[in-house]
Amino acid sequence: MPAVAPTGARGAATAAIGTVVGALVVLPLLRLLQVLWQESGGDLARVLGSADLGAAARNSVVLASAVTLAAVPIGVATALVLRRPDLPGRAFWRVAVLVPVVVPDFVLGYSWTQAYARAGFTDSTLGLHWAGLLGPVGVWLVLVVNAVPLVYLVAVGGLAARAEPDAERAARVSGASGRTVLVTVTLPLLLPAVAAASVLVFVLTLGTFAIPQVLGAPAGFDTVTTRIYADLSIGGDPASFLEAIALAVLLVLGTAACVAPADALLGPRLRSARPADPQAAQALPGRPAARRVQAAVLAGYLAVTTALPLAALVLASFTRALGVPPTPGNWGLDHFRQVLTPRTAEALGRSVGLAVVAASLLVLLGALVAVRERRRSGRVAGTLITLTLVLPGTTLAVALLITYGRWLSGTLTLILLAYLAKLWAFAHRPIAGALDRLPPDELRAARASGAGALTAVRTVALRPLAPALLGAWLVCFLTALHEVTMSSLLYGPGSETLAVIVLNSQELGRIGPTAALSVLLSLLVAVPASLLWAAVHRLRSRDGGPPALGIPEVARAG
Amino acid sequence: MPAEPALEITGLVVEYDGTTALRGVSLSVAPGEVLALLGPSGSGKSTLLHAVAGFLVPRAGTVRLGGRTVVGDVPSVPPERRDLAVVFQNYALWPHLSAVDTVAYPVRRRGAGRARARAEARELLGLLRIAHLADRRPAELSGGEQQRVGLGRALARRPSLYLFDEPTAHLDTHVRTVFLEELVARQRDSGAAALYATHDAEEALGLADRVALLRDGHLLQVGTPQQVYGEPVDLFAARLTGPASVIDAPAGTGRLLVRPGWARLGGPLEGRLRTVRFRGPHSDHLLDTPLGEVLIREPGPPVHEIGTCTSWALVHGWPIAS
Repeated sequence: MPAVAPTGARGAATAAIGTVVGALVVLPLLRLLQVLWQESGGDLARVLGSADLGAAARNSVVLASAVTLAAVPIGVATALVLRRPDLPGRAFWRVAVLVPVVVPDFVLGYSWTQAYARAGFTDSTLGLHWAGLLGPVGVWLVLVVNAVPLVYLVAVGGLAARAEPDAERAARVSGASGRTVLVTVTLPLLLPAVAAASVLVFVLTLGTFAIPQVLGAPAGFDTVTTRIYADLSIGGDPASFLEAIALAVLLVLGTAACVAPADALLGPRLRSARPADPQAAQALPGRPAARRVQAAVLAGYLAVTTALPLAALVLASFTRALGVPPTPGNWGLDHFRQVLTPRTAEALGRSVGLAVVAASLLVLLGALVAVRERRRSGRVAGTLITLTLVLPGTTLAVALLITYGRWLSGTLTLILLAYLAKLWAFAHRPIAGALDRLPPDELRAARASGAGALTAVRTVALRPLAPALLGAWLVCFLTALHEVTMSSLLYGPGSETLAVIVLNSQELGRIGPTAALSVLLSLLVAVPASLLWAAVHRLRSRDGGPPALGIPEVARAG
Repeated sequence: MPAEPALEITGLVVEYDGTTALRGVSLSVAPGEVLALLGPSGSGKSTLLHAVAGFLVPRAGTVRLGGRTVVGDVPSVPPERRDLAVVFQNYALWPHLSAVDTVAYPVRRRGAGRARARAEARELLGLLRIAHLADRRPAELSGGEQQRVGLGRALARRPSLYLFDEPTAHLDTHVRTVFLEELVARQRDSGAAALYATHDAEEALGLADRVALLRDGHLLQVGTPQQVYGEPVDLFAARLTGPASVIDAPAGTGRLLVRPGWARLGGPLEGRLRTVRFRGPHSDHLLDTPLGEVLIREPGPPVHEIGTCTSWALVHGWPIAS
């Protein structure tokens, strides 16, 4: 890469990045530690040793392990099945399997209660309901369903980068059957990606909040994150404040303990992989009967875990009252009329505005770091940013609250700061990935043709980067739109986002209105998602580039 | 009883997402024979090899290996049950396996134990003069070394037919010649037939018993190297197989194909030397003549100045439709 910016601008950019990272992440985390030290009077062991706290921590670790153990095999298997070019309905399944990504996680959790819990869809139609849904097993199951697409995306990226089709063809033509190839070639090559996906799922589950809150909290099943939420929103006394801070520190330490060795171990192996080319990941044709069975299993899985719950949610939002059968005679728009109050409309406006501002700023920040990262001095910033991806949102929110709460408590600005800190990696990874794939000779050729540094970037680099920029914006926009972990801790009167309103409505037990709000929120996410997805797709296919959106890049960041 | 062809292809049609990559190709390779597939990129060479190997299922046509139908009126036979081996253009080595384990891989698949397979693999690596690299992984090998390992893996399969998919395309020129000699020697020793895809005319003419010219998914011409070089069916085939000039026939009508060695300086015809290129063992002279542009190859360094009038003689010409 030739130098693209004069020295002065370079120094200013580095300073800007350093200031933002320091203010949004480093300072709040230090302040968190400082407050913990002060409030506990230096006696950390006493705070961390309390029995309740221990139970919540144990629940979090067991839950994260169990979710990882189940989600990783399912996600990898899905990726292996879906790369078969002759799978019936492959194009449809490839989109369908990602639906849980687009649906906010607490909506997914809530939709399961509408489908399978008492008075849910199966109860009112077949008289069957599952009492265990509200409790640890239900939390585990829905978290698995929620994590599978993430593992799937990481595995797809790994397959594209490592298991090139010729490696498998060479094995087949050396006399190995399809199954032997899987065991001796494909899976060993996929191992780094699988390990990375496992670490990612584990730490993200440690930090997950919404699903344990919706399904676990009502049954008295506490995790670290729900406990912090309870401490801060219900507690209000100094003891629970101290406990929240202690848990937040515990959470970030636990995460660091997993991520640091994993990154040291896996980082080089993942980075040495050649650039992903999803089109090369096509596998050999196989037996049609086996493909049909695979398609049927996939269809069954998606129907039970995603389609039926979401359908039940939509039905619940249209069905007049709880307990009446969800038949057309009982349909109506009452719940929607009930929830479409000025307060909801304001929250909707706030959510969209916040997401637009956050996404736009994030793309700017992400691009800045991605460009800086191409020089040695900028790599530290890149690594720091990537680590914020696994920084638990709850910890971040608590840290920001105690650092800036004095001035910004309950304001949208504080939520915006939290989004910027947490989602920076979401913007950074896709842009950095696209920059890496941009052949340096293209920029050199522009410079050698007489273009100045900025002209070269504008005329040659911007167009190929457009899908990544748009994709990064989309990912940030969607994530900000259905974010609830941090906003539920940081909102105040007059700064509720729509997601917070849905969560509160659910906690109040207003089933029909919650369903209606969930449907509204999902539509709010799904409509722009599909529009922008189509735009990104068109941009990419016109350039002959890989059609995948930036999500795999984000997923690989772990 | 005459031996069955090692490979027999009839009416092969392959389509990729709506575009036709092969349009009814028929070919046969005798046991022990080397057939070169010569064509520009995108002509369907790799597609043809992939269809023979079983990496894709053709839309129509049959493939028979040693008399056994593997594509046609039977369910398509998977690659592992076809009696053939492939050397890939991009080596296709497995990043997680050492050289010896890579070469042992096909032996293991035949049911041999780990120790025996490794012993056989080490023997092959010795034969290819890379025994000292046995424990290295692909990332620690040069391109030429990687391709030797790839060749070793193919040899370990002990097939009746080798498929070479431009195996030298990614090798440096000096490594290339040595590797090619190695490859041909090992393949001839094994007695197996080979289908060798390349876009390099010299390579194809130099190593094959017969050459098949491929253009846009169909066969232009199949013949001995001398036939396809000396008697190309059309101008495209002529250009594919080597440098060629096309001039008006000096006596009479029509156009003539003239290879660089088919004319010499000095003789009854007149011309003016436009450019001359010293190529080491010989020099290429490009002449403007009343009949058209002619390229003449003479041994040794150039003797005439550019721009001088030179006489020349036509030794041989091949009538061609332009």
